[in-house]
Amino acid sequence: MTRDDSPRVIVAGFGSADRGDDGVGPLVAARVATISSATRDVGPLSEPLDLLDYCDGVDLVVVVDAVRSNAKPGTVRVVEMNVEAGVDESEVDTLVDGVTSTHGIGLAGVLRLARAVGRAPTRLVVVGVEGEEFALGHELSPSVRAAVPEAVRLVLQLIAEVNVCA
Amino acid sequence: MSHGSKSVRTISAEGLARVEGEGSLRVRVHDGLVTDVALEIFEPPRYFEALLLGRHFSEAPDITARICGICPVAYQMSACLAMEDACGVDVGERISALRRLLYCGEWIQSHALHVYLLHAPDFLGCADAVELAERDASTVQRGLDLKRVGNMIIEAVGGRSIHPVNVRVGGFYRAPDPSAIARLFEPLRRARDAALATVSWVSGFEFPEVEGQYRFVALRSPGRYAIDDGRPGSSGGLDLSPAQFSDLVVEEHVERSTALQATLGGNDHYLTGPLARYALNASMLPDVAREAARAAGLGDVCVNPFKSIIVRAVELVFACDEALRLVEAYEPPAAPSVDVAPRASVGTGATEAPRGLLLHQYEIDAEGTILRARIVPPTSQNQLTIEDDLRRVVEGGLELDDDDLQWRCEQAVRNHDPCISCAAHFLDLSVVRS
Repeated sequence: MTRDDSPRVIVAGFGSADRGDDGVGPLVAARVATISSATRDVGPLSEPLDLLDYCDGVDLVVVVDAVRSNAKPGTVRVVEMNVEAGVDESEVDTLVDGVTSTHGIGLAGVLRLARAVGRAPTRLVVVGVEGEEFALGHELSPSVRAAVPEAVRLVLQLIAEVNVCA
Repeated sequence: MSHGSKSVRTISAEGLARVEGEGSLRVRVHDGLVTDVALEIFEPPRYFEALLLGRHFSEAPDITARICGICPVAYQMSACLAMEDACGVDVGERISALRRLLYCGEWIQSHALHVYLLHAPDFLGCADAVELAERDASTVQRGLDLKRVGNMIIEAVGGRSIHPVNVRVGGFYRAPDPSAIARLFEPLRRARDAALATVSWVSGFEFPEVEGQYRFVALRSPGRYAIDDGRPGSSGGLDLSPAQFSDLVVEEHVERSTALQATLGGNDHYLTGPLARYALNASMLPDVAREAARAAGLGDVCVNPFKSIIVRAVELVFACDEALRLVEAYEPPAAPSVDVAPRASVGTGATEAPRGLLLHQYEIDAEGTILRARIVPPTSQNQLTIEDDLRRVVEGGLELDDDDLQWRCEQAVRNHDPCISCAAHFLDLSVVRS
């Protein structure tokens, strides 16, 4: 189903503010939505499957999530998911670590599922912020908090690319 | 993964997929007999109960909604009922009807998710929903459409489909505009048809011949299939108020688990969820759901846990039909919420989350500060019964090779749609044969 009123760009922050650095995704997405009026913040999400409700007919989906990849905490990475040709699932599953359940369908699987049912977005990009503290009850660590402006800038840059191309 | 020798045989799986949460499962078999079954859970589950202490009673619905990404409405509703019970408040019919509509939305999205994307792949030999979608896109599309309609309801009533923000103790922050509710009608009509097709689809699956011996526990509500209120009842004849039920439920730590495991009175295992609701309340289902159940071959009680997928599909029909009824009858309440003044008291609330009975109990002081919180989620109530099921499944499936037995065990766990993030969080599986 294509929603007539759907924005062409959505930002989805994954994670929970109750789990330390896991909360960085929703925080970045919310900030982006306050700056970019052309963007819809559909988070906070906890399940990649929930993206399926929003991807259909969308030009760009930006997923913002916390990452554990042994990089320096606060490192911001951008990973382009190849919508047409498939994705490197091992890389993406390692990268996108903020999802707290094991419903068995990670982001890569959801993208494959979206393709199979004809609901894939034109482009899906993950902006990951390396976290260090994911325990319940903790707040964002200082290094991750300091990385938020950079993550916001990168998401806005991705959105600007769509607008330029439109 | 399998290790084999003449005396010892071990099967283990790195992660039991398609189960919400983190934990592991271990089964030991000695001389053909199952000697130990343990569903292990790793994360401190009572964080949220501790977090609630010292907070204002009005914060409980929003705080507890964050426990689970799949069933936040259930947490909100049980928290609201408990606080309103503590404060002696009745919200009235219209607010209750709106809550029930919201809850129907959660049942629809949660059941559609479980039936189509988590459980059906087991029966069709698919590794996961992605493989199922690549094999049968139109069927999976039907499931996704159903799930979306559930989310539409939650968004219309709850203000947001993920973690609704419009719920408060006493009712809602804002009553939905009638036109917004009316827009749900056509999608729901289509969803009800899709739910009926779902019953037909899943009833054609092949089911292992397994019969559980269950003590069913579910809410009962006069004249209707209980969702958002009712008295806990059981197949053994219990009929209790939520507070009495809370007194009866004993939760204990076992060494292998950081979650609490519940029994009735310290001994009796029991089962909540679709099989229990159906066993106790099938006569309350609307005709369209009862006829679908009959056509699918269900009797008045279903004790084959693998057929829980059919019962869930029947409940999908019910939830769509009930939501349609509520949409047609919708009249905004005079005020979106009633005033709730705190008083020093203890309140208990119980509702039927998609996975089973969810009990909240709070003690608050005269200013509304939470002094004590107790949350008993469905999965901790079902955990011991899931282990019983696994014992039966393994004993009846020892002729299976390791891979098939592991598959069957995982399927047996998913029969009850455990949401271990409610009780705690990852699942690994190991079977040791000696």
